[in-house]
Amino acid sequence: MSERYLQNSAALIFSTFILVACGGGSESSGTATPGLPNETLSSVAALGEQIFNDASLSASGKMSCATCHQPAAAHAAPASGTNGIGTPDGGPALDVQGFRKAPSLRYLKFAPAFNFDAEGTPNGGFMRDGRFQSLAEQAGKPFFEPHEMALANAAELASKAGAANWAAAFKAQFGADVFGDPAKALDRIAYALAQYQKEDPAFAPFDSKYDAFLAGKTTLTPTELRGLALFNDPQKGNCAACHPSARSANVPGPLFTDFSYDVLGVPRNDKIRANRDTNYFDLGLCGPFRKDMTGRTDLCGAFKVPTLRNVAVGGPYFHNGRFATLKEAMRFYVRRDTNPEEWYPRLPDGSIDKFDDLPAAWRKNVNATEVPYNRKAGDAPALNDSEIDDLIAFLTTLNDGWTPQH
Amino acid sequence: MKKTLIAASLAALFSTTPAIAQEDLRAEMRALREEVQRLRAELDAVKKTAPVPMPSAPLAPAVAPLATATPTPSPSPQTAPAPAAAEHESATSLFGYAELSYSRPKDAAATQATAGRVVFGLGHQFNERTKFVTELEVEHAVVSADDSGEVAIEQAYIEHQINDGLAAKAGLYLIPLGYMNESHEPPNYYGVKRNFVETAIIPTTWREIGLGLTGNTDFGLRWDAGVTTGFDLTKWDSTDGEAIESPLGAIHQEGQLAKAGNLAVYGALNYNGIPGFNAGGGIFHGGVAQKQADFASPDARLTLAEAHARWTPGNWDLSTLYAIGQFSNTEAYNLTQVGNPYPVPKRFDGWYVQAAYKAWSAGDHTLSPFARYEAFNTARKYDDALTEFGYSARPTEKVVTAGLSFKLHPQVVLKTDYQWFREDSTRNIFNLGLGVAY
Repeated sequence: MSERYLQNSAALIFSTFILVACGGGSESSGTATPGLPNETLSSVAALGEQIFNDASLSASGKMSCATCHQPAAAHAAPASGTNGIGTPDGGPALDVQGFRKAPSLRYLKFAPAFNFDAEGTPNGGFMRDGRFQSLAEQAGKPFFEPHEMALANAAELASKAGAANWAAAFKAQFGADVFGDPAKALDRIAYALAQYQKEDPAFAPFDSKYDAFLAGKTTLTPTELRGLALFNDPQKGNCAACHPSARSANVPGPLFTDFSYDVLGVPRNDKIRANRDTNYFDLGLCGPFRKDMTGRTDLCGAFKVPTLRNVAVGGPYFHNGRFATLKEAMRFYVRRDTNPEEWYPRLPDGSIDKFDDLPAAWRKNVNATEVPYNRKAGDAPALNDSEIDDLIAFLTTLNDGWTPQH
Repeated sequence: MKKTLIAASLAALFSTTPAIAQEDLRAEMRALREEVQRLRAELDAVKKTAPVPMPSAPLAPAVAPLATATPTPSPSPQTAPAPAAAEHESATSLFGYAELSYSRPKDAAATQATAGRVVFGLGHQFNERTKFVTELEVEHAVVSADDSGEVAIEQAYIEHQINDGLAAKAGLYLIPLGYMNESHEPPNYYGVKRNFVETAIIPTTWREIGLGLTGNTDFGLRWDAGVTTGFDLTKWDSTDGEAIESPLGAIHQEGQLAKAGNLAVYGALNYNGIPGFNAGGGIFHGGVAQKQADFASPDARLTLAEAHARWTPGNWDLSTLYAIGQFSNTEAYNLTQVGNPYPVPKRFDGWYVQAAYKAWSAGDHTLSPFARYEAFNTARKYDDALTEFGYSARPTEKVVTAGLSFKLHPQVVLKTDYQWFREDSTRNIFNLGLGVAY
């Protein structure tokens, strides 16, 4: 072997080393803030925005999507409606009370369609019972609910839409005859509403303090950090078991929901008028609003796990808005089983009517195995009041719209 | 000349791979002898048909892979095709290994048998200097969307012999740390399963994409150095038990669309100058945040180091190894994960001592009882900032493994052992295994 050959080979290898090493050393360029695309809304989404805010599409003429999903309140309606159940009254005279707390529309675009996963458990879907498969399917329903916008049918919607100030743009988008075909008009209106929710970064800004913390751009206070530890700890709050605090694949940040369903046994809320009928029960997956799983009595009482983003913006909490404050909701989680007398009424015989918002036959569906529910009367709660305060401090870091303090 | 070559080859083998157990050495000698005989026959045949000029280079490079191999070289270099008589003629070879096991823990319901690994290797020697080595591995017999098996390219690299003492390689290859990573074929180790230290602390089989150099000195020192891809800390899942079973196994990239924003460097030294004895060590260091946007610990780094020694006096085969891993600058990331069960440890380490004895042999058959004591901890230390959240070092697991290896042939082994776990005795387990390499 010649010496020159050796030198050439070595030089080639080392120069390749240097090239690779240098190539790997460049600084990454700044990326856009997650969830905040720079592009403006598409023409369809821009139409959706107008429809979203148009109160003329209701029997009362005073209720729009934004009435129940206020942008300033994380697209929900805290403490609204009769008795403050968290959903504005609807109907032609705005005096028909709803049944469930209006959920936030934030981050919903990441929800999968309703499905049963590999283990046979329900997952995903839209509405608290997951009965709709997509944002568009969901968006077309409130127009006709008697306790919401209360229009008679698609023809009435098409008629009102045809008179809206965005009607010309809508026809330019979907055809001049679109309002002549009510089914088509409804379909396109729902589509535009869904596109608006998908495209407008306001529905998924990922700009909370927690997002900045995950990105290494700020720190949490000691109280907030303690709260995060309690949130994640499988032996304490165990909140992350259903409300994951870590990023999931292909999403800019954690969604704080795994889209699963759980039966919590939330106490009956007497502030809901429908509950005056002692035979009326809102059972979530198995009815009464969802019609396709009435036979799945093992799922009675199950409601979708919501995102906890913006949870501190305002209550009331749970599907029936039973608890006005976050602290009360947290205390319910940890004291439901250790101190049931604090949450449920007593029967004439003095016994506690635990899980009173479920018919007796389905109370066995209530989750009583996972932390923090795996306790019995007299046990110490998984979290004390001080720890609950820490937890709430952490949950407050999930509010959108955080800006660094200077 | 031929005799000289054989002698030179054997001398190279002895001087560079003394840590091979004696029976392995004898097997190597047999294999080499057969190889030379085959070559001689081929050469004679070629001479008879058409006289060709002798290769300008001697046969030494043909066995050079042995000289650059690990103390117990993997089959790929051993079985790499010998160059054909003509200088530019190429050759392709097949090789591989397989590992099947039956394991019965205390809980009989968890008894399991599996074809843990079947590996198919394909090598191509372009000429006396340059070869390509690739291995395809199938784990657990079946791979599909619903099965836990895995198909992986374990190695795919080009190796070029620059001169007798210097070789370069590029591609997906095994990092030369510890004994097992580069020499993980079942006949090369004792016990049905690979030892814990070299799976939980040093991940095995651990490969990266990169460029490396290997050199050998006249006095028996082998050195390795290279630049490769590294680990991806953004894959760390603080809720997943895999992170505590093998911290690096949980975040290795294996050449699968590996994030390469940070590159790593490694170096290893092995002294083989005394026949029957090997001592050495290695270090691997690199950034693990891979320049991913919005990762809380952009300066996170990993250092993994190990030291090892092996002595094979007579029928004995004695070895020891210590490995230590250290993550640095991970505190900010860990605080984002606080409360979860498995934060990134600051330090993880382990060691073992092992003794085997060839108690009986007849022809190719040998019977070797062995015993191994291991102590390892995948979370020896956490960031101080985690202390106030209740994190403390995990207990050190100690495992005693005792068993037998019965070789039907130097490359076909039947094994049995029992493993006692001191911390968690529910893991005590009886194992049976079948291993083959060719």
